[in-house]
Amino acid sequence: MSETGGVLSTVSGGTRSRPMNVVRWLLLSDYLVLALTALYVAALWFFVPEILSPTNLRDVFLQILPLFVAAMGLMMVLMVAQIDLSATSIMAMGCVVGASIMTDQGGYLAEHASAPVVAILAMVAIGLLIGVLNGVCTIVFDMPSFLVTLTTMMFFSGAAVWYTAAHTSSGSSIGGLPPAFIEIGYGGVAGIPYAAIITVALAIVVHLVLTRTVFGRWVRAVGLNPRAAAISGVPVRAVVVGCFALSGLFSALAAIIYTARLEAGTPILGQRILLDVIGAAVIGGVSLFGGKGTVIGVLVGVLFLSVVDNGLQLLGLSLSSVYAIKGGVILVAAVTDAIRHNLMARG
Amino acid sequence: MQINRRQFSATFAAVAASATMPLLARAEGGKTIALMFDAFDSDFWITGNVILKAKAKENGWTTLETISNRDQNKQNDQLKAMVERKVDGIIFIPTDNNAAIPAIRTANAANIPIIFFNRPPAPNDNKYVAIQADNRKIMQTTVSNLVDLAKKQGGKYKACVLIGDLGDNNAVQRRDGALDILNANKDIIEVVSQVATEWNADKTFSGLTNAIQAHPDINMLISPSDSEDKIIEQVLKTAGKWHKTGEDGHVLFAGFDGDQNGYQLLSTKYMDVNGVQNLFYEADLAYGAFKDIWAGKPVDKMLIDPGFAISQATLDSKRDDMWGYHVWKEKNK
Amino acid sequence: MSDLLLKVSGLNKSFFGVPVLRDVGLELHRGAVLGLVGENGSGKSTTMNILGGVLAKDSGRVELDGEEVAPTNSRDALALGIAFIHQELSLFPNLSVEENIFLDHFPRKFARLPFVDRRTLRDRAQKAIELVDLRVSPVTPVMRLPQGERQLVEIAKALSRQARLIIFDEPTTSLTARETERLFTIIGRLRAQGISIIYISHILGDVLRLCDEIAVLRDGQVVGAGPRDDFTIERLVTLMVGRTIDRLFPERNPVSGPQRTALSVRGVSQPGIVKDISFDLSLGEVLGVSGLMGSGRSELARILFGLDPYSEGEIRVQDAKLPPLAPRAAMDRGMAFLTEDRRGEGLMMEASISDNIVLPSLVEQSSGFLRWLNPSELTKAARDVAERIRVNAKAVDRTAVRTLSGGNQQKVVIAKWLLRAPSIFILDEPTRGIDVGAKYEVYKIINEMVGAGAAVLFISSEIEELIGMADRIMVMGRGEVRGFFSRGSFDRETLMGAALWE
Repeated sequence: MSETGGVLSTVSGGTRSRPMNVVRWLLLSDYLVLALTALYVAALWFFVPEILSPTNLRDVFLQILPLFVAAMGLMMVLMVAQIDLSATSIMAMGCVVGASIMTDQGGYLAEHASAPVVAILAMVAIGLLIGVLNGVCTIVFDMPSFLVTLTTMMFFSGAAVWYTAAHTSSGSSIGGLPPAFIEIGYGGVAGIPYAAIITVALAIVVHLVLTRTVFGRWVRAVGLNPRAAAISGVPVRAVVVGCFALSGLFSALAAIIYTARLEAGTPILGQRILLDVIGAAVIGGVSLFGGKGTVIGVLVGVLFLSVVDNGLQLLGLSLSSVYAIKGGVILVAAVTDAIRHNLMARG
Repeated sequence: MQINRRQFSATFAAVAASATMPLLARAEGGKTIALMFDAFDSDFWITGNVILKAKAKENGWTTLETISNRDQNKQNDQLKAMVERKVDGIIFIPTDNNAAIPAIRTANAANIPIIFFNRPPAPNDNKYVAIQADNRKIMQTTVSNLVDLAKKQGGKYKACVLIGDLGDNNAVQRRDGALDILNANKDIIEVVSQVATEWNADKTFSGLTNAIQAHPDINMLISPSDSEDKIIEQVLKTAGKWHKTGEDGHVLFAGFDGDQNGYQLLSTKYMDVNGVQNLFYEADLAYGAFKDIWAGKPVDKMLIDPGFAISQATLDSKRDDMWGYHVWKEKNK
Repeated sequence: MSDLLLKVSGLNKSFFGVPVLRDVGLELHRGAVLGLVGENGSGKSTTMNILGGVLAKDSGRVELDGEEVAPTNSRDALALGIAFIHQELSLFPNLSVEENIFLDHFPRKFARLPFVDRRTLRDRAQKAIELVDLRVSPVTPVMRLPQGERQLVEIAKALSRQARLIIFDEPTTSLTARETERLFTIIGRLRAQGISIIYISHILGDVLRLCDEIAVLRDGQVVGAGPRDDFTIERLVTLMVGRTIDRLFPERNPVSGPQRTALSVRGVSQPGIVKDISFDLSLGEVLGVSGLMGSGRSELARILFGLDPYSEGEIRVQDAKLPPLAPRAAMDRGMAFLTEDRRGEGLMMEASISDNIVLPSLVEQSSGFLRWLNPSELTKAARDVAERIRVNAKAVDRTAVRTLSGGNQQKVVIAKWLLRAPSIFILDEPTRGIDVGAKYEVYKIINEMVGAGAAVLFISSEIEELIGMADRIMVMGRGEVRGFFSRGSFDRETLMGAALWE
């Protein structure tokens, strides 16, 4: 029996018709979510043909990038059968600290040429530190990561608000970021935006690490069976802490892109998108139980969520229906995934 | 698979049904404007939404709506979608006045007029119009009225000032306006407590309760939003301080916004003064600005709604301009 | 009412075009015990799963008391009176005995309302557990019961559902000798009550002892069936495997002359677990470790490999002290550890065969500072070692270990360590739950390794196995070493006696 999704032959003696076979293949394949996305776009095209206009496609592409980065980070944690609820608070904390360094309204390195670089380094450092904190608390104190990261999430989102208030006289965000930094959000090389270059590079690195390095295999092993991994000589604790550190790092990197786009340090950055980040990973095939996940899968999940959002935005429907429809679409995706698992289990 | 088809058909039908409105507009060729909200966290915004839509309809325009749920990044993305839909004008209610600036640039690049409604952006050089209630001035007028009443009653006063979310410019303005007048009357009024409520019901409840516990003789209360009225009533009732004007132990009470609760409390004599943002006027200002811009006429960057203060004395004469009164009237037909 | 309870005829089943059962037919009389024997992969489990409603048959006929039945899930099967007691019991350890027995049919206070009638529950549970000779209070949480008593709870559960047919799947693998005897007594009692039993087991001696009739499956077909007296162990093995196996244990060429000491253990103690363990293990030697369950053998193995701590004593590998709590260090010195729980600790069930095989060797197979791997090289290495020990699977990099039989799974675990060419191999119950043919192959592999110079520590609860394979046997009891026996003085009774000595 084949483990990976793929075309499965019909059961002997079965009486299925060809169309049913196609549907069955579709449901069982790993491209299900992609197919649903295409279906959605096709359906919406009748109402808002703008959904396929070049400018809209470009907008959606740019929107996907930071979400993809954050979701890849979260994937690392999910793969070792843990969860990181603090991802978006790390973004917020990094965002305001970085802004406080760069801002020309009294920042620590205001007007300095090195300000953007130092700010970026600071944001990365914050991501790594909080990530390591999450990992160590989970492993050393043997607490469920849900609890640990929930605590850090609350702590750092509060800290971010306090930090912002301490650094601005009025208002709830830190503006006045130097143009050199904002370039990251808008500028590019040879027509390719910086954000895209960063994201693609990260995606390639993560993919290679997962498929071609010892660490990647260790991550999978720890997620599938940590006891067996330990007996096989895998340094389980170090791997788990490493994954949390990566999640923190990627949250910080996503925050860099978001901050550059918003041109402000805001403590509520990302507050609403935690479920999008985790949802994108799960829809993209990353198992909540660990051991399973691919970069392409996460990309597909991110694409699905972003396209659903974009479609609804274009429709501009009365606000009460927006959430219902988004929920309905995600529900369809979840139900079809469940049916798929049932089919695979029954053989 | 049956389930998949059926469920998708249901969603399909729902999308089709609710999406027809914007499509008809496309067919007619009338003007389309986008109403971009951040959250419906108070009656002001819910009514605002209704009023803006109604007035748009009066003008023969179609409306597209978005809600950002307090995520500025999402709202900036939503604006791009509205640009994609080629709307003729955008009403924008941002969450973060700094992070909204990139959105202005997007609108400028597409040559679509963008009007900030009730929440202006941080100062910047791009093209926009901001409708703003002069919160500070309205609160000053309101509190002045309250202080006059206090002086007429005589005696000394201990005041508690509720403040909204310190991140919200409007809240900061209102606090400043209140303190301007209160601090100028230090001889009879002492501000014993300032409570930051973050526009949050639980924090309002606990903050006010704590303030009264610490200072049981508070007899003046200034609230920055009528959305807090019900909670204030709850707390004061529990503390035995909920009395009408003229009764013993009445706490001089000033509210802000002018919503239906404000009207209710004014008419039942529990509230003394209310600072009203003239929502009707602000909507007219906005749509007037659209028409001017479309006609090529120059428009000021800041259009101010001076608002007004309404008290028990002026209740009958001024209530037609109070947006909350109309809501109250509808409900109590 | 005929004497025949169960009649299965012409049963066929295929998975993805691969036939798994071919024209299988069985007969079972009321109050009789039918022994079902066969290697893993022979179709025993599939047949029983069809009877128990877990799988659907492709064609064929199942008759219960003359009526055709086709249960579509386990509830249907239960309603028909078929109870299936799996090897891994399906009890809820956090619930009490009475709750487990009546989980799906609690006596209620008022007809359909969801209020449990506790008193009736207590009474009925008490009666049910008396039927199986279980002397515990019905409110005892199942997690406090040893394996043997848990199994009795499962039987009580089946009886409370008025089962007419009880299927036992490998019931004695986790039982002590005394518990096994008790189980057999109960089975005798069930027979007397007219309940029919299907008994599946690899322990052929037990099958011959218990059963009235025996059926042998091989490759999805019934290759022999009849009353017990028609069969001997040799005939059963021949039918199961398809060829004669002269001996149960392969030839060993004992290594001559003194050998270097590979592992030297002195005075290792851990309070409450093991006390003052000392022994030497030489290269080219098989040291068997015998003892009852709970004697501390597996715990000792975990300590030696560095998974658990110890408070006193010293462990030396090839004359250098081994740091405690460092499995990686143990592996670097050439140690390997096959645990007794292959599902929980030996394998990643959802991963492929090759993923499992290469896991402990990843660092050695990698190159460069970033530790790059070459997937095709890894697969090749995995395939080579898998072929060497005849793991029966086509595509090692695409077959999930979960789909393999117990014997093949165990071979994968062995392969995983073989890839490292260990010099000291600790085996904890290496042939538990695998069939005769696979066992023989495992013994052969062990002999090959030893012949090539490795040292093996062989922990087993089957004394016959140790007598057949070991050079010396160390008997443990209650966490201590009770004695050493050399090949010349191997004797079943003496060894049992040493283990049982209080």
